[in-house]
Amino acid sequence: MAHDWQPDFEQLVDEHQSMVFSLALRMTGDRGLAEEIAQDVFLELDRHLGRIESAQHACFWLRRVAMSRSADALRRRKVRRMDQWVEFDEAQSIPAEERHSPLGARLEQLLAALPEPQRAALVLRYQEDLTPEEIADALEAPLATVKSHLQRGLKLLRARAATDLKEYVRGV
Amino acid sequence: MEFEPAEEMEEFEQELRHAFRRQPAPPGLKTRIMARRRKPDWRGHAVLWQRLAASLALAAVLAGAALWRQREEQRKGEAARQQVLTALRITSHALNQMNRQLAAHDRASQE
Repeated sequence: MAHDWQPDFEQLVDEHQSMVFSLALRMTGDRGLAEEIAQDVFLELDRHLGRIESAQHACFWLRRVAMSRSADALRRRKVRRMDQWVEFDEAQSIPAEERHSPLGARLEQLLAALPEPQRAALVLRYQEDLTPEEIADALEAPLATVKSHLQRGLKLLRARAATDLKEYVRGV
Repeated sequence: MEFEPAEEMEEFEQELRHAFRRQPAPPGLKTRIMARRRKPDWRGHAVLWQRLAASLALAAVLAGAALWRQREEQRKGEAARQQVLTALRITSHALNQMNRQLAAHDRASQE
Protein backbone atom coordinates (compact mmCIF):
# COMPACT_ATOMS: atom_id res chain seq x y z
CA MET A 1 0.00 0.00 0.00
CA ALA A 2 1.38 3.43 -0.95
CA HIS A 3 1.74 6.00 1.84
CA ASP A 4 3.27 9.48 1.96
CA TRP A 5 4.67 9.32 5.47
CA GLN A 6 8.47 9.10 5.50
CA PRO A 7 9.68 7.49 8.73
CA ASP A 8 12.73 8.95 10.45
CA PHE A 9 14.15 6.23 12.69
CA GLU A 10 16.16 8.56 14.93
CA GLN A 11 13.16 10.78 15.50
CA LEU A 12 11.02 7.75 16.34
CA VAL A 13 13.59 6.65 18.92
CA ASP A 14 13.64 10.18 20.40
CA GLU A 15 9.85 10.34 20.61
CA HIS A 16 9.10 6.87 21.90
CA GLN A 17 12.11 5.64 23.90
CA SER A 18 10.55 6.72 27.18
CA MET A 19 7.26 4.95 26.37
CA VAL A 20 8.90 1.69 25.27
CA PHE A 21 11.33 1.66 28.20
CA SER A 22 8.58 2.44 30.76
CA LEU A 23 6.31 -0.31 29.42
CA ALA A 24 9.13 -2.85 29.59
CA LEU A 25 10.21 -1.65 33.03
CA ARG A 26 6.69 -1.88 34.51
CA MET A 27 6.14 -5.29 32.96
CA THR A 28 9.47 -6.84 33.99
CA GLY A 29 10.45 -4.79 37.04
CA ASP A 30 14.07 -5.03 35.90
CA ARG A 31 15.79 -1.91 34.61
CA GLY A 32 18.57 -3.76 32.77
CA LEU A 33 16.16 -6.16 31.10
CA ALA A 34 13.82 -3.26 30.23
CA GLU A 35 16.65 -1.44 28.45
CA GLU A 36 17.58 -4.62 26.56
CA ILE A 37 13.93 -5.07 25.52
CA ALA A 38 13.72 -1.40 24.44
CA GLN A 39 16.83 -1.77 22.26
CA ASP A 40 15.50 -4.97 20.67
CA VAL A 41 12.09 -3.38 20.02
CA PHE A 42 13.63 -0.39 18.22
CA LEU A 43 15.94 -2.60 16.15
CA GLU A 44 12.92 -4.67 15.18
CA LEU A 45 11.15 -1.44 14.22
CA ASP A 46 14.13 -0.58 12.02
CA ARG A 47 13.73 -3.89 10.18
CA HIS A 48 9.96 -3.29 9.74
CA LEU A 49 10.18 0.42 8.96
CA GLY A 50 9.04 -0.08 5.37
CA ARG A 51 5.72 -1.46 6.58
CA ILE A 52 4.97 1.39 8.99
CA GLU A 53 2.38 3.68 7.44
CA SER A 54 2.08 6.63 9.81
CA ALA A 55 3.33 8.12 13.07
CA GLN A 56 0.27 6.65 14.84
CA HIS A 57 0.97 3.27 13.32
CA ALA A 58 4.58 3.47 14.59
CA CYS A 59 3.38 4.30 18.11
CA PHE A 60 0.80 1.48 18.05
CA TRP A 61 3.39 -0.96 16.66
CA LEU A 62 5.97 -0.02 19.31
CA ARG A 63 3.45 -0.46 22.15
CA ARG A 64 2.32 -3.85 20.86
CA VAL A 65 5.83 -5.16 20.31
CA ALA A 66 7.13 -3.78 23.64
CA MET A 67 4.31 -5.57 25.51
CA SER A 68 4.85 -8.76 23.54
CA ARG A 69 8.65 -8.79 24.06
CA SER A 70 8.18 -8.06 27.77
CA ALA A 71 5.75 -10.99 28.05
CA ASP A 72 8.30 -13.20 26.25
CA ALA A 73 11.02 -12.11 28.68
CA LEU A 74 8.75 -12.91 31.66
CA ARG A 75 7.95 -16.31 30.15
CA ARG A 76 11.67 -17.07 29.69
CA ARG A 77 12.23 -16.09 33.30
CA LYS A 78 9.38 -18.38 34.36
CA VAL A 79 10.95 -21.25 32.42
CA ARG A 80 14.12 -20.65 34.42
CA ARG A 81 11.93 -21.43 37.48
CA MET A 82 11.56 -17.83 38.57
CA ASP A 83 8.28 -16.33 39.65
CA GLN A 84 6.13 -14.57 37.05
CA TRP A 85 5.29 -11.86 39.55
CA VAL A 86 8.02 -9.29 39.21
CA GLU A 87 10.03 -7.87 42.07
CA PHE A 88 9.90 -4.15 41.53
CA ASP A 89 12.65 -2.78 43.71
CA GLU A 90 12.34 0.91 43.04
CA ALA A 91 15.17 1.90 45.33
CA GLN A 92 17.57 -0.43 43.54
CA SER A 93 16.35 -0.01 40.01
CA ILE A 94 15.72 3.70 39.54
CA PRO A 95 18.31 6.46 39.92
CA ALA A 96 17.60 8.80 42.83
CA GLU A 97 16.82 11.81 40.64
CA GLU A 98 14.11 9.88 38.77
CA ARG A 99 12.45 8.30 41.78
CA HIS A 100 8.71 8.70 42.42
CA SER A 101 7.06 9.98 45.52
CA PRO A 102 6.86 7.34 48.27
CA LEU A 103 3.17 6.86 47.42
CA GLY A 104 3.97 6.37 43.73
CA ALA A 105 6.72 3.92 44.58
CA ARG A 106 4.30 1.97 46.76
CA LEU A 107 1.74 1.82 43.96
CA GLU A 108 4.45 0.60 41.57
CA GLN A 109 5.27 -2.21 43.99
CA LEU A 110 1.60 -3.15 44.32
CA LEU A 111 1.25 -3.16 40.52
CA ALA A 112 4.30 -5.42 40.22
CA ALA A 113 2.63 -7.97 42.50
CA LEU A 114 -0.40 -8.34 40.19
CA PRO A 115 -0.67 -11.26 37.73
CA GLU A 116 0.89 -10.45 34.35
CA PRO A 117 -2.30 -10.04 32.23
CA GLN A 118 -3.86 -7.64 34.77
CA ARG A 119 -0.60 -5.73 35.08
CA ALA A 120 -0.37 -5.39 31.29
CA ALA A 121 -3.92 -4.05 31.03
CA LEU A 122 -3.43 -1.57 33.90
CA VAL A 123 -0.09 -0.31 32.58
CA LEU A 124 -1.60 0.42 29.18
CA ARG A 125 -4.67 2.01 30.80
CA TYR A 126 -2.90 4.30 33.27
CA GLN A 127 0.53 4.85 31.76
CA GLU A 128 -0.58 5.15 28.14
CA ASP A 129 -4.16 6.33 28.83
CA LEU A 130 -5.58 3.81 26.32
CA THR A 131 -9.23 2.80 26.09
CA PRO A 132 -10.14 -0.87 26.67
CA GLU A 133 -10.60 -1.24 22.88
CA GLU A 134 -7.11 0.11 22.21
CA ILE A 135 -5.67 -2.15 24.93
CA ALA A 136 -7.39 -5.15 23.33
CA ASP A 137 -5.75 -4.21 20.00
CA ALA A 138 -2.33 -3.72 21.59
CA LEU A 139 -2.45 -7.01 23.48
CA GLU A 140 -4.23 -8.86 20.67
CA ALA A 141 -6.78 -10.07 23.23
CA PRO A 142 -10.60 -10.14 23.21
CA LEU A 143 -12.20 -6.95 24.51
CA ALA A 144 -14.20 -8.83 27.17
CA THR A 145 -11.00 -10.39 28.52
CA VAL A 146 -9.28 -7.00 28.67
CA LYS A 147 -12.25 -5.44 30.47
CA SER A 148 -12.22 -8.27 32.97
CA HIS A 149 -8.46 -7.89 33.55
CA LEU A 150 -8.90 -4.14 34.03
CA GLN A 151 -11.76 -4.58 36.49
CA ARG A 152 -10.12 -7.33 38.50
CA GLY A 153 -6.72 -5.67 38.45
CA LEU A 154 -8.08 -2.33 39.55
CA LYS A 155 -10.15 -3.94 42.30
CA LEU A 156 -7.18 -5.93 43.56
CA LEU A 157 -4.90 -2.92 43.43
CA ARG A 158 -7.47 -0.77 45.22
CA ALA A 159 -7.98 -3.38 47.94
CA ARG A 160 -4.25 -3.86 48.45
CA ALA A 161 -3.63 -0.14 48.38
CA ALA A 162 -6.37 0.43 50.98
CA THR A 163 -4.70 -1.84 53.53
CA ASP A 164 -1.10 -1.40 52.52
CA LEU A 165 -1.10 2.37 52.20
CA LYS A 166 -2.97 2.87 55.48
CA GLU A 167 -0.26 0.87 57.23
CA TYR A 168 2.34 2.78 55.28
CA VAL A 169 0.88 6.19 56.20
CA ARG A 170 0.66 5.10 59.84
CA GLY A 171 4.28 4.00 59.70
CA VAL A 172 5.56 7.25 58.19
CA MET B 1 -21.35 -6.26 49.02
CA GLU B 2 -19.38 -3.11 49.62
CA PHE B 3 -19.44 -0.47 46.86
CA GLU B 4 -16.69 2.07 46.29
CA PRO B 5 -18.05 5.59 45.97
CA ALA B 6 -17.45 6.69 42.34
CA GLU B 7 -15.62 9.78 43.49
CA GLU B 8 -13.11 7.78 45.53
CA MET B 9 -12.52 5.44 42.62
CA GLU B 10 -11.92 8.37 40.27
CA GLU B 11 -9.48 9.82 42.76
CA PHE B 12 -7.70 6.47 42.95
CA GLU B 13 -7.51 6.29 39.15
CA GLN B 14 -5.99 9.78 39.10
CA GLU B 15 -3.40 8.60 41.64
CA LEU B 16 -2.59 5.70 39.34
CA ARG B 17 -2.24 7.97 36.29
CA HIS B 18 0.18 10.11 38.28
CA ALA B 19 2.14 7.17 39.71
CA PHE B 20 2.34 5.34 36.39
CA ARG B 21 3.46 8.23 34.23
CA ARG B 22 6.26 7.39 31.81
CA GLN B 23 9.76 7.04 33.20
CA PRO B 24 12.57 8.81 31.36
CA ALA B 25 14.65 6.42 29.27
CA PRO B 26 18.13 5.67 30.67
CA PRO B 27 20.78 8.13 29.50
CA GLY B 28 22.50 6.91 26.34
CA LEU B 29 19.75 4.49 25.33
CA LYS B 30 19.37 6.16 21.94
CA THR B 31 23.15 6.14 21.37
CA ARG B 32 23.30 2.42 22.15
CA ILE B 33 20.37 1.70 19.82
CA MET B 34 21.99 3.68 16.99
CA ALA B 35 25.33 1.89 17.58
CA ARG B 36 23.65 -1.52 17.43
CA ARG B 37 21.77 -0.42 14.31
CA ARG B 38 25.04 0.35 12.50
CA LYS B 39 26.61 -3.00 13.40
CA PRO B 40 26.02 -5.81 10.91
CA ASP B 41 23.63 -8.39 12.20
CA TRP B 42 26.09 -11.16 13.03
CA ARG B 43 23.37 -13.23 14.61
CA GLY B 44 21.50 -13.36 11.30
CA HIS B 45 24.67 -14.29 9.40
CA ALA B 46 25.58 -16.90 12.01
CA VAL B 47 22.17 -18.54 11.61
CA LEU B 48 22.65 -18.63 7.82
CA TRP B 49 26.10 -20.23 8.17
CA GLN B 50 24.77 -22.71 10.70
CA ARG B 51 21.98 -23.72 8.31
CA LEU B 52 24.44 -24.05 5.43
CA ALA B 53 26.81 -26.17 7.53
CA ALA B 54 23.94 -28.37 8.70
CA SER B 55 22.75 -28.83 5.09
CA LEU B 56 26.27 -29.76 3.94
CA ALA B 57 26.68 -32.22 6.81
CA LEU B 58 23.32 -33.81 5.99
CA ALA B 59 24.22 -34.05 2.29
CA ALA B 60 27.57 -35.65 3.18
CA VAL B 61 25.88 -38.22 5.44
CA LEU B 62 23.29 -39.08 2.76
CA ALA B 63 25.97 -39.38 0.03
CA GLY B 64 28.09 -41.55 2.33
CA ALA B 65 25.13 -43.81 3.06
CA ALA B 66 24.34 -44.17 -0.66
CA LEU B 67 27.98 -45.00 -1.47
CA TRP B 68 28.17 -47.53 1.36
CA ARG B 69 24.97 -49.21 0.14
CA GLN B 70 26.31 -49.40 -3.43
CA ARG B 71 29.62 -50.91 -2.24
CA GLU B 72 27.77 -53.40 -0.03
CA GLU B 73 25.61 -54.54 -2.97
CA GLN B 74 28.74 -54.92 -5.13
CA ARG B 75 30.44 -56.97 -2.38
CA LYS B 76 27.40 -59.22 -1.99
CA GLY B 77 27.20 -59.69 -5.79
CA GLU B 78 30.89 -60.63 -5.96
CA ALA B 79 30.47 -63.11 -3.07
CA ALA B 80 27.49 -64.71 -4.83
CA ARG B 81 29.51 -64.96 -8.09
CA GLN B 82 32.38 -66.63 -6.24
CA GLN B 83 29.95 -69.10 -4.64
CA VAL B 84 28.49 -70.01 -8.05
CA LEU B 85 32.01 -70.47 -9.52
CA THR B 86 33.03 -72.67 -6.58
CA ALA B 87 29.89 -74.78 -7.03
CA LEU B 88 30.61 -75.12 -10.75
CA ARG B 89 34.22 -76.15 -10.01
CA ILE B 90 33.04 -78.77 -7.52
CA THR B 91 30.44 -80.12 -9.98
CA SER B 92 32.98 -80.21 -12.81
CA HIS B 93 35.47 -82.01 -10.58
CA ALA B 94 32.80 -84.56 -9.56
CA LEU B 95 31.78 -85.19 -13.19
CA ASN B 96 35.44 -85.67 -14.28
CA GLN B 97 35.95 -88.15 -11.47
CA MET B 98 32.79 -90.01 -12.47
CA ASN B 99 33.95 -90.07 -16.12
CA ARG B 100 37.30 -91.51 -15.14
CA GLN B 101 35.63 -94.20 -13.02
CA LEU B 102 33.25 -95.11 -15.87
CA ALA B 103 36.15 -95.30 -18.36
CA ALA B 104 38.09 -97.54 -15.95
CA HIS B 105 35.04 -99.73 -15.50
CA ASP B 106 34.59 -100.01 -19.30
CA ARG B 107 38.24 -100.98 -19.78
CA ALA B 108 37.94 -103.64 -17.05
CA SER B 109 34.81 -105.17 -18.60
CA GLN B 110 36.44 -105.31 -22.10
CA GLU B 111 39.47 -107.13 -20.74
